[in-house]
Amino acid sequence: MVNVTLKVNGETRSASVPPETTLLRLLRDQFNLTGAKLGCDVGDCGACTVIVDSKPVNSCLMLVGQVEGREVLTIEGLANADHLHPLQKLFEHFGSLQCGFCGPGVIISAKALLDENPDPSTEEIRDALGGNLCRCTGYTKMIEAIKGASCILRGEEVPAVKSA
Amino acid sequence: MTERPKVIEKPDVLEQPDILKPQPPAPLVTFPIEVVVPEVRQQTPAVGQRATRADGRLHGLGQTKYIDDMYFPNMLFAKIKRAGIASAHIKSIDTKEAEAMPGVIAVITGRDIPCNSFGPSLKDQPVLADKRVFHAGDGVAAVAAVTEQIATEALEKIKVEYEPITPVLDPLESLKLETPGVHAPSSNIYGHKVIKKGDVEKAFAESDRVFEGTFRTQMVEHVPLEPYACIAQWDANGRVTVYSTLGRITLGRADVARTLGIPMSRIRIVATVVGGNFGGKNEIRAEPAMALLSKKTGRPVKCVFTRAEEFTSSTTRHPLIMDYKTGVTKQGKILGRKIRLVLDGGAYCSWSETTLGKACILSAGPYNIENLYAEAFVVYTNKTMTGAMRGFGAPQVCFAYESHMDDIAKALGIDPLEIRLLNAFDEGSLSPTSQKLHSVVVKESLLRAAKRFGWNGIGNGGNGNGA
Repeated sequence: MVNVTLKVNGETRSASVPPETTLLRLLRDQFNLTGAKLGCDVGDCGACTVIVDSKPVNSCLMLVGQVEGREVLTIEGLANADHLHPLQKLFEHFGSLQCGFCGPGVIISAKALLDENPDPSTEEIRDALGGNLCRCTGYTKMIEAIKGASCILRGEEVPAVKSA
Repeated sequence: MTERPKVIEKPDVLEQPDILKPQPPAPLVTFPIEVVVPEVRQQTPAVGQRATRADGRLHGLGQTKYIDDMYFPNMLFAKIKRAGIASAHIKSIDTKEAEAMPGVIAVITGRDIPCNSFGPSLKDQPVLADKRVFHAGDGVAAVAAVTEQIATEALEKIKVEYEPITPVLDPLESLKLETPGVHAPSSNIYGHKVIKKGDVEKAFAESDRVFEGTFRTQMVEHVPLEPYACIAQWDANGRVTVYSTLGRITLGRADVARTLGIPMSRIRIVATVVGGNFGGKNEIRAEPAMALLSKKTGRPVKCVFTRAEEFTSSTTRHPLIMDYKTGVTKQGKILGRKIRLVLDGGAYCSWSETTLGKACILSAGPYNIENLYAEAFVVYTNKTMTGAMRGFGAPQVCFAYESHMDDIAKALGIDPLEIRLLNAFDEGSLSPTSQKLHSVVVKESLLRAAKRFGWNGIGNGGNGNGA
């Protein structure tokens, strides 16, 4: 067993787990943060994406030994009981998620992008979502929601959306 | 050339909803957002509008509870040992070493299943293979342990002795009567359908040109982002509760009752939020095995497939081998069409009958064809089972008949759009099974699409690639 202490969504958390435990299992099984999902367990699908020290990572590929003392943001840390993040609000508004399983990972990838680049182009958004697979809705409505959220975060008007 | 219907233009820009108007730069937005619920029978202007989902907010917050997000006190984790061999007799299964591992609470094999067969139509699937392995993804034993990792390690300790049988892998071989039956003594052909209209041989004799083509599609896995999962809890009163990602819980309940040999009144299936289905979660998989592990241990048992199991041990889309023969006039008018479809059903029937029927009915395409002969077979092979998947056979035949139409147009020197407008269904056309069709807008849709992407026809400045 290894002891690990890290900051999760602003709170200091500790656990004693087998060394082969991944960050994803740590979050889900030890801290009951089930927002990040296990989709493939090999870093292909991105359903487990969380932010570690401001970079989006596949938490299924990161071992607990790599997160000691680091800061982790999960989907649960993006909103509180009273507030939605603009990304979450616009993902809801645009119907960007259908089954929703990929959603937390996609939103976290988008959050990492907008933190670094407040005005991303469609290409840059596509690139940022390159590691997140969606099987239901596709990416068009997600990209629109991310563009819209970037406008809200910059205090600008969200541009009109073309009909299908 | 047929008369072109008028295309109705839609406005390009939707009305701006209030939510998208400029907002103060505060990064967080306050609850609650007003939700308008329409009255019963109220006509909503849904077409052309964007839809939000009632559960969309929970999805975005990461608060939706899929099965793997659920935990019950004292819960065990199960893993299934996969055969890894396409076709074999099972001579013996030794689970002693696995059972002796610290942390392993129970192991079951196919012999523990009261009635080891189920299926949406033919009851040909075992819950866990007992005497015979029909495809490499078959389960042969299930282990419940205190952690998923111990369960996975225990699979290595289970010793299975196989006597290999030459597998049947090619559907065309399987179609031959002399090929050994996958489910002997039955023939490998377990479904057959014919649609006959007019006299196709006469039509070929009267045609200016007759074209033939063979088209094949491959096996496709649904790959829902959420792998298959279930939790079973057998209580002391002899009632079992199954939390399941099934899309058809009533059918699942009947299958669970059959395999466990208990009345349906003792089974409760709780349908959870499904992380993607696409037809791949339409019948039970490990539910009865989990129920029995729960009965044996007196504890709730959870099973989540790995991504690899999702590929090998869930259903897939039928690969099809499609032979087309079409007689046409010089102008491109179809006089007759003959089709043979061979569906690779894999090891078990699953939803093959539905797929066979739909593929056969739709195989002629959306075209007025007076003389038609379409015949479809579905055969067993020792491969991953095929079943329901979006469209039930429609996408496969669409690929074939549209490719065939392009080949014919090219050979006749006709624009691919023109040959479709010449043959496509009109209002009131009869389908291959003589169903009168209404609200037919094939031609309007084609013309609108052609206009949208600037189709000028091959040789007239168009790129000829259809887009």
